[in-house]
Amino acid sequence: MQSSHRVLQLRGGARLVAEPMPERHSTSVVLMFAGGSRLEEGGLGGVSHFIEHLFFKGTQRRPSSKEIADAIEGVGGFINASTDKELTAYWARVPSEHMDLAFDVLFDIVANSRLDEADVEKERMVILDELRGYQDQPQDLVQNLFEELIWPGHPLGRDIAGTEESVSRLTRDDILEYVYAHYRLPNLVVGAAGSLDVERTAGVVTRGLALRSDLDGELSSSTPDPLSAPRVLLRRRETEQAHICLGARALSYLDPDRYALDLLTTVLGEGMSSRLFLNIRERLGLAYDVHSFTQKHRDTGYLGIYIGVEPKKAVGAVNAALMELRALGETEVADDELARAKEFTKGRLRLELETTNGVAFWLTYQQLLLGQINTIDEELTLVDGVSAADIKRVAIQLLREPLQMSVVGPFARDGAFRIAIGA
Amino acid sequence: MNSVADEAGDEEITPTEIAEAIRDCLELVEVDAVPNVRRYLGEALDAVSDGMPADFVAMTLYAALGALREGTTH
Repeated sequence: MQSSHRVLQLRGGARLVAEPMPERHSTSVVLMFAGGSRLEEGGLGGVSHFIEHLFFKGTQRRPSSKEIADAIEGVGGFINASTDKELTAYWARVPSEHMDLAFDVLFDIVANSRLDEADVEKERMVILDELRGYQDQPQDLVQNLFEELIWPGHPLGRDIAGTEESVSRLTRDDILEYVYAHYRLPNLVVGAAGSLDVERTAGVVTRGLALRSDLDGELSSSTPDPLSAPRVLLRRRETEQAHICLGARALSYLDPDRYALDLLTTVLGEGMSSRLFLNIRERLGLAYDVHSFTQKHRDTGYLGIYIGVEPKKAVGAVNAALMELRALGETEVADDELARAKEFTKGRLRLELETTNGVAFWLTYQQLLLGQINTIDEELTLVDGVSAADIKRVAIQLLREPLQMSVVGPFARDGAFRIAIGA
Repeated sequence: MNSVADEAGDEEITPTEIAEAIRDCLELVEVDAVPNVRRYLGEALDAVSDGMPADFVAMTLYAALGALREGTTH
């Protein structure tokens, strides 16, 4: 599988990653800024996400959100943005002949947004509604509580959108100051994938770069303190189902063992042939929804198991899930199961890279966070290189970490959950 | 205690009967001879009183049993 991406250094420290995909009709472009919610110390919780919303409210040339949307949707394209814990991304996917327009709109919103006081107040109400909405969505709530347990007192453990308190307190000056400090060229990687010419794309991007090119200090945030003990966090809700997240700290995306962790998660709880699905749902009939997942950051990460279960079966499901997790640290995964997990992981990655959007994000993400780009073939080789012994070693390492568990459901007490994880 | 733990998930046995059995256990001298046994039995009794699911109660009773076995073998 060929990869023909090129990385170009642009003026001011910005970088462009472009991959020609000449057979496609679309081109996807992304402006990805280092940063995100983990940099938000003190009372600034949620400011990155707030800014991402505000950038769609209007610029000098396109004074309303409708004009921003019309510019892209008027040619059949899509435009959106997302805030994550270590980055914020603005993207558009358009028919290839409209790539210049896509860049023009994206650079316009990040460099020329008006950030009016009235828009700040309106958007604050929208975000507060969004935050209150999470409280009514137990699946979101239980994951947020789990991340609070995994990274207590650290910005990584807080909802990307902030808290009701922090969002209520953010001022327009806080927002302007944050934009001024973080939306700078050295923090930017521009990505493009689709039917494009790299040299021409570099010219279009260079003309759009109107942001400041100096850095206002290092973009750094503290590493979370190690966890010393297992903990349970119960939020009582009179829900029909109990929602449970349990897991432990795991590897960062810079750790060479991250491929082993990905395969461990696949074997444990990704898809309908995973151990959690087959044993807890199919064989024991304990839970309707059970799966595992990981989150990885520069210096930390976690593996989590989600269980959606009838309350009276919750303790049984937790114990069964823990048995599956512990088994990975006791016995090596069999050859055929490992081979299946590798094909699953490699197949999912290849499917993800079917679209121009998938390729643009994948390349840009690697350049911004890892500082280098592995080709798809290199990634597939790294997955193939993982052995059953590697997975067992990673499982043993993970199981040395204190287990954490969040529970949302109709429970007055958490005693049995604490006993299950030794808390 | 063993039989109560085994039957805590059985719908034939009532919460009142389970609570009575736990209270009987709490009066035994051995309960204080081993760390955590009283704590787990207390948890189990509170769980019964709060109407927690049967497997939740059973789990705390098994924890008490486990602590007792571990304590008496050392």
